[in-house]
Amino acid sequence: MPGGGRCPDCGSTELVEDSHYSQSQLVCSDCGCVVTEGVLTTTFSDEGNLREVTYSRSTGENEQVSRSEQRGLRRVRDLCRVLQLPPTFEDTAVAYYQKAYQHSGIRAARLQKKEVLVGCCVLITCRQHNWPLTMGTICTLLYADLDVFSGAYMKLVKLLGLDVPSLCLAELVKTYCSSFKLFQASPSVPARYVEDKEKMLSRTLQLVELADETWLVTGRHPLPVITAATFLAWQSLQPSYRLSCSLAQFCKLANVDLPHPASTRLQELLAVLLRMAKQLAWLQVLKLDKRSVVKHIGDLLQHRHTLVRTAFREGTAEMETQEKELQGRGQGEEVGNSSLGLPQGKRPASPALLLPPCMLKPRKRICPTPAVSTVTGDESISDSEIEQYLRTPQEVRDFQRAQAAGQAATSVPNPR
Amino acid sequence: MRLINAFRAQTGSEAARSTGSPQPPTAGPLPMDEETYLELYLDQCAVQDDLVPPRSPLFSPVVPYVYPPNPSNPETTFNSHLESKETSGDFSSVDLSFLPDEFTQENKEQAVIRSKHEIEENCETQSQQSRLPLPSGQDVGPGLDSSSLSSSRSHLHPGDANSIQSSPEKANSNPSPLASITPMTPMTPVSECSGIVPQLQNIVSTVNLACKLDLKKIALHAKNAEYNPKRFAAVIMRIREPRTTALIFSSGKMVCTGAKSEEQSRLAARKYARIVQKLGFPARFLDFKIQNMVGSCDVRFSIRLEGLVLTHQQFSSYEPELFPGLIYRMVKPRIVLLIFVSGKVVLTGAKERSEIYEAFENIYPILKGFRKA
Repeated sequence: MPGGGRCPDCGSTELVEDSHYSQSQLVCSDCGCVVTEGVLTTTFSDEGNLREVTYSRSTGENEQVSRSEQRGLRRVRDLCRVLQLPPTFEDTAVAYYQKAYQHSGIRAARLQKKEVLVGCCVLITCRQHNWPLTMGTICTLLYADLDVFSGAYMKLVKLLGLDVPSLCLAELVKTYCSSFKLFQASPSVPARYVEDKEKMLSRTLQLVELADETWLVTGRHPLPVITAATFLAWQSLQPSYRLSCSLAQFCKLANVDLPHPASTRLQELLAVLLRMAKQLAWLQVLKLDKRSVVKHIGDLLQHRHTLVRTAFREGTAEMETQEKELQGRGQGEEVGNSSLGLPQGKRPASPALLLPPCMLKPRKRICPTPAVSTVTGDESISDSEIEQYLRTPQEVRDFQRAQAAGQAATSVPNPR
Repeated sequence: MRLINAFRAQTGSEAARSTGSPQPPTAGPLPMDEETYLELYLDQCAVQDDLVPPRSPLFSPVVPYVYPPNPSNPETTFNSHLESKETSGDFSSVDLSFLPDEFTQENKEQAVIRSKHEIEENCETQSQQSRLPLPSGQDVGPGLDSSSLSSSRSHLHPGDANSIQSSPEKANSNPSPLASITPMTPMTPVSECSGIVPQLQNIVSTVNLACKLDLKKIALHAKNAEYNPKRFAAVIMRIREPRTTALIFSSGKMVCTGAKSEEQSRLAARKYARIVQKLGFPARFLDFKIQNMVGSCDVRFSIRLEGLVLTHQQFSSYEPELFPGLIYRMVKPRIVLLIFVSGKVVLTGAKERSEIYEAFENIYPILKGFRKA
């Protein structure tokens, strides 16, 4: 290798790189002496032979950095490699960990916290590059509790004063959908259930966008919405064979965990689709329900922008309560209308309110605003009021006796 | 400087336009030159011309200029502040620090918060007046305009002892200054007032009983006490009226939680101290201090939290994977708000009731901006 390396035996400069059993070696082409041999050399000799040694592998770093920090940095690098992140992410995550380590609060934290800190640094790096990594994934990898993780994450963001962007929903859809094992036939996946990846991805993305527009995503964990959307997209691409498959069965055969809220999200999404279907003339006559609407998801998604605009209208909480009152009064009339048959049903349904589900649910009884209390804080306190909280001497004696008896009972060893 | 020259260029058109609107009152002695008055008027007009409607309290310090000058008015400080600038026509030494350069949302809010801070500084003793006044129990609906206008005016005249009583009279007795204000000041001062009052839900206070306590004895002699030294090193005591809970430590310090108002918290703390006294300890009642106040309210419309976190990134934290609400850390006043998609808002971290009201009035216009999807 050109560049001034000399063979220690014969002194020639003709060194070539050769690999012996997949271990790269520098060999002198004149006398055959092996100059460097992969890991079986010292950094000193390596550097002498113009092989660059990264700082993290040399002993220089070890002297300045404490052992626990070294361990943490190693964990950061390992986590990045396990997640198969691009190499630039590793450097950024390491930099964050080092920056965090400069704070005394972090240095003095427990090992569990430091472990979780590793995950936080990687998460922040991924978020800043729009790489869709969920906290659930990191907690599973680190065997950490989500509560501990959330506390450490919020503290770290505040401490370093970072601007962490939100989770990118589109990227998450792509990554999550690709993890479903439905794109090739296998013993567990019948032929009818296999689906084309691109078609499913695009339809899932459209469904998730629809959910976002209709307030089903704000304030909720993003993953169950995507699970429900993936399921609906998959079903709608071949409804005749797939309508019989339930959400739980679907996740099982796709080898993906079913998050608990996914079934509720599924119902909410179907309700939105049903509302939209009522606006399409050729679907009104079909009197769709939650199962049959799946067959028409393709059409609904194609016209989703118009349909959402016509099917829903802006509303506030007051409008919602007024609506409920009107609905209650109009209930009798509606029954009369439906008995008249089709002509009434031809008219498109009046727009429903576009509100988050928590605002659409029947309101709990509004607790009355507390009466304006006239307490001044300086009133006199009657003795009787205080005495109601004190035990009489007789009660004290009884209580002590009861306590002693209780302790005696627990301290007596069980006769075997 | 560019801004000022731009104003100058508009002067011609401004003058032409201003003939349509009622003239500022020239009757009555004005505290300063016509020139400085003109410059202030131009500033206002130029800001009004801006795309984003300017935030009202920014101009409220300027409003009193059209009133007959009141010597006891603390706004004379603003008077002198602007007077000291100059009387010549040269704008270069004009201190326009209260007008931000870019009329962006954040700058406006910071200017709002800054000017409000200045107003707040002037009214230090007004603990009752600092409560959002809805004078004489007026309805929020129809009476909103007059009541909030008078309340905002009372906000401005804290130095006056009878300001709250006098402001309605002022509104009636001086119709001409009032009529001339309205076109100049943007409509926002009245319409921005939310009309919603946050309800206090919890008050945490501490008091020093100033004597060492025997927790075992307290737990033995008091019916309403629980003491589990292995779990927590304090007695947990509860009383029914006001419904509160207290943590009593052996050092004599006590924490009282659960009250719905400052007075109730104080009364409850006194009751706990009296109970400890009756148990035979020489308890006193020193350094009663309210440590935290929590309030909540409902803005009655849904909020796009994703949008809010994008525009107010430096204050907000929204992690739907962890918590369904958005955590907004307001700087002035230092309050943390939890904002939910349903429009419910929880405010916490206040030491004074006024901080909660102020924080809500600050956040309400921001939330209204996210009303439409």
